Amino acid sequence: MPIYESVMQEKPPIVLDIGTAYTKLGFAAEAYPRKIMPTEVVMTTTGIRKRLFDYGTPEELYDQLVDFLQTIFFKHLLVSPKERKFVLVENVFGPTVLRETLARVLFVHFDVSSVMFVPVHLIALSTLAVPTALVIDIGYSETSVMPVFSGVQIMGAFKDQSYGGKAVHAEIKRQLVETGVKESLLTESVLEDIKVRTCFVTTMERAQARAKGGEDQPTPAPGVDYIVSDNDAVIQVPGSLREAVYEIMFEPSNERDSLPHLILRSILDCTLDVRRALVESVFLVGGGSMVQGLLARLRQELHHLLAEDPFYAERFHGELQFKFFNAIGKQNFTAWLGGALCGATDLIQTRSLVKETYLKSEHVPDWSNLCDNRPTGS
Amino acid sequence: MSFMQPSPVKYACSCGILNPINKLFFCRHCPKLHCGFCVTHEIESHFCSNCLENIPSTEAKHKKNCCANCFDCPCCQHTLSARASTVPVVRKSEESKDVKEPKDGDSTGEATPPVPASSKPSAVPTTKKMYYLSCLSCRWTTRDVGIPDQGVATGTWPDNECLYQARFNALVEYFQAVVLQEKQEKLEFMRRKAPKQHKFPSLTDRTGLTVSLIRRQIGWNDKVPKAKAVITPAESTSEVEGLPANIFTEQPNLRNVTTIAQRHSQPADQPTAVGSLYPQRRSLWIKRSLRCRQCEHNLIKPEYHPTSIKYRIQLFASYHVPEVVMVRCEQPLVPGKSNAILLKLTNPTMYDMTIRLLTAAPPEDAQVSAETTRVVKEEPISSSPLLKTVGITLSRQNSTREVKREVIDASNAEIVPLESEFVLSQRDDSKEFDEYVQLPTEEPKFIVWRKGNKVLVRLQFTPAEELAFGTDVVLGFFMQYTYVNTVTNASEKKEPTTHALHSRVFITAGATEQKAT
Repeated sequence: MPIYESVMQEKPPIVLDIGTAYTKLGFAAEAYPRKIMPTEVVMTTTGIRKRLFDYGTPEELYDQLVDFLQTIFFKHLLVSPKERKFVLVENVFGPTVLRETLARVLFVHFDVSSVMFVPVHLIALSTLAVPTALVIDIGYSETSVMPVFSGVQIMGAFKDQSYGGKAVHAEIKRQLVETGVKESLLTESVLEDIKVRTCFVTTMERAQARAKGGEDQPTPAPGVDYIVSDNDAVIQVPGSLREAVYEIMFEPSNERDSLPHLILRSILDCTLDVRRALVESVFLVGGGSMVQGLLARLRQELHHLLAEDPFYAERFHGELQFKFFNAIGKQNFTAWLGGALCGATDLIQTRSLVKETYLKSEHVPDWSNLCDNRPTGS
Repeated sequence: MSFMQPSPVKYACSCGILNPINKLFFCRHCPKLHCGFCVTHEIESHFCSNCLENIPSTEAKHKKNCCANCFDCPCCQHTLSARASTVPVVRKSEESKDVKEPKDGDSTGEATPPVPASSKPSAVPTTKKMYYLSCLSCRWTTRDVGIPDQGVATGTWPDNECLYQARFNALVEYFQAVVLQEKQEKLEFMRRKAPKQHKFPSLTDRTGLTVSLIRRQIGWNDKVPKAKAVITPAESTSEVEGLPANIFTEQPNLRNVTTIAQRHSQPADQPTAVGSLYPQRRSLWIKRSLRCRQCEHNLIKPEYHPTSIKYRIQLFASYHVPEVVMVRCEQPLVPGKSNAILLKLTNPTMYDMTIRLLTAAPPEDAQVSAETTRVVKEEPISSSPLLKTVGITLSRQNSTREVKREVIDASNAEIVPLESEFVLSQRDDSKEFDEYVQLPTEEPKFIVWRKGNKVLVRLQFTPAEELAFGTDVVLGFFMQYTYVNTVTNASEKKEPTTHALHSRVFITAGATEQKAT
């Protein structure tokens, strides 16, 4: 009797992963989110859509969050947030004001009973049931690399760079405007659609040949006519653009901050003993990692750097073979899935920040805050 | 009252946010104005917006907030409609020698009348209605993606299954076991650490020796066999999926590649090919009821049935608070030049109102202020440990904690307050049809016109001197009005009580014009 069971069960916790571009929302112990929706709010006064995290003052953010969560609860999840438990997937290095405001909105405005914040890299790893991996999150605003060993994040080896979906969109826009496409056509949603439907990561050989220049260029992939449905315009997407936009992640520079460098440097920042384990378990999550050919290219680049780059050659030794994990489900909600797993366990009872505790101090404990991490008694 | 255009007249809600009157609610118990921000929203009932069927909340939860019968188009998110087609069927009992006539199986809508095939009545091929789903907006059908037609119009469409459900369930079980085990170990540890205080202390208690001794005497194993949670961890591979070989040569067909919205509407598998799109169950809608945060009374309660648009409780502000409508300014708005504005005030209640327009906040009505202080006083009490034990009623007080904001005073014109108060007579629908007779009554100077429950008032003001060209002139004033409350919190008083309430009103009169030189 499933209906009977559902009556007996406690209300399942709500799991939210509020990303910069998309928000994943659903309930704990469910295998996929109920909805993936753009993290946008429509301003009631002006009717303009804007991103949730574009705000001037903390009060503005508070109002936007109230509006946004209201939509989530009453339009999508259809449950009252009152007296509910929450799992929130958060960026470890996210701004404190965001976290504090979110907690205030939930506890004060929506009267929820408890909130558990879980770090995105660690919780994404729980979907694999392995304790050690190098977790790479390719999101909208940034790409971040966090090594996790035996279930502990190695904070000192965290690396991030600003190439994510946003940078790819900017690159598509730049290249299309160069070919003479009107800039007014290239809205954010059109750019995203072009990226998702036509672009891919090319192979290393082709990319190198293109970077070198010269006569024997590989013939570019065929171009596509993209139809903008809103105003009946056709954008010619050249084949070179299709395979070249993701090069911003692999561009060699003196800063050594392309994605393969980021990964290798992050591994080097860890202690000797864990490096081999990390090399053999790389895990890519986030919507940006769903592009075709990314893993193959990354593997090629990493091995190329290990063999060719003297900096890495003298630091990495032995037979190293980069190995990758396959996510269960789609990568763009892997972190959410981890949250859903976490919310299904008893941890939600023991590790959450409950309302009474919050209202006493109006403060969310944070790993970076010394007030919360002092050894007791001092 | 115009619903489409933003109203120039805004009222300050009790939480400090400015709203037009049609977005405000009036709590008769407090009595105060409230807006959507400062009330608690609750879910009254679930229903499907397509078939208007009411669905109980437990069932809605079980069905994952989806309607059992209605489907959305995976292509354009429009509602799908079931279409019927007739398919000839041969009866099993007949001899297979009877050859049935081929018939058009694609005719939509009406079933074609069965044609007698032969003289034998038993050999008449029967037809059966088969259904498929079709989108009337983008012409997508379930046949496009190869879903077989169904014998029943609703219901039997198979759900798309989640590929990794088994793995996910295993993971959930594993983590639950791990967490439980940790909890037990912790409990065990705490028990050893702090042994029970016996009258006669014994060493065996501390070591847990007695338990193991007894177990051995019975003949059981020494240790309690602990079921360790096991799961096969995911394995990493060095073989990664490369690009398809034809990607550099073959022209991609964008018609076969799904858009991001189509992928996200199917979050479980997010197909990239149009061929894997699947009809999606339509998600339910809700009816909302609103509740005052201070007194926990309902402000809005809709009727239960989805087809009804009426309310059981409706405390909209426009039924209780005098409505101010801006009619016109007498002269163009010039900074520093005195001007006058005509305002129409309407009394929506069944009692006469006495109204004053003031520039400063009037002193609080004694009864109301007593009540508000009571609410304020309650908060420190609820945090005291003594009353914590009382529990539920006090913990609910926490919902009143929403921070009050200061009203943003945007007024930039000086107002000449009206010299006297005036009476706004009660609403009387029958009077609307009476002949209009201007009674020779003594009226204050500022009243331009009066009919029934409506009054046109002339208010003098001066826009501030320093306003730049093109800025909006905002008039701000306090409107004090008497309100006759028919419900009271105190049960002993049965007769209606009269409150003197006030609300802050801001009027955007328009943009300033060039200073006349």
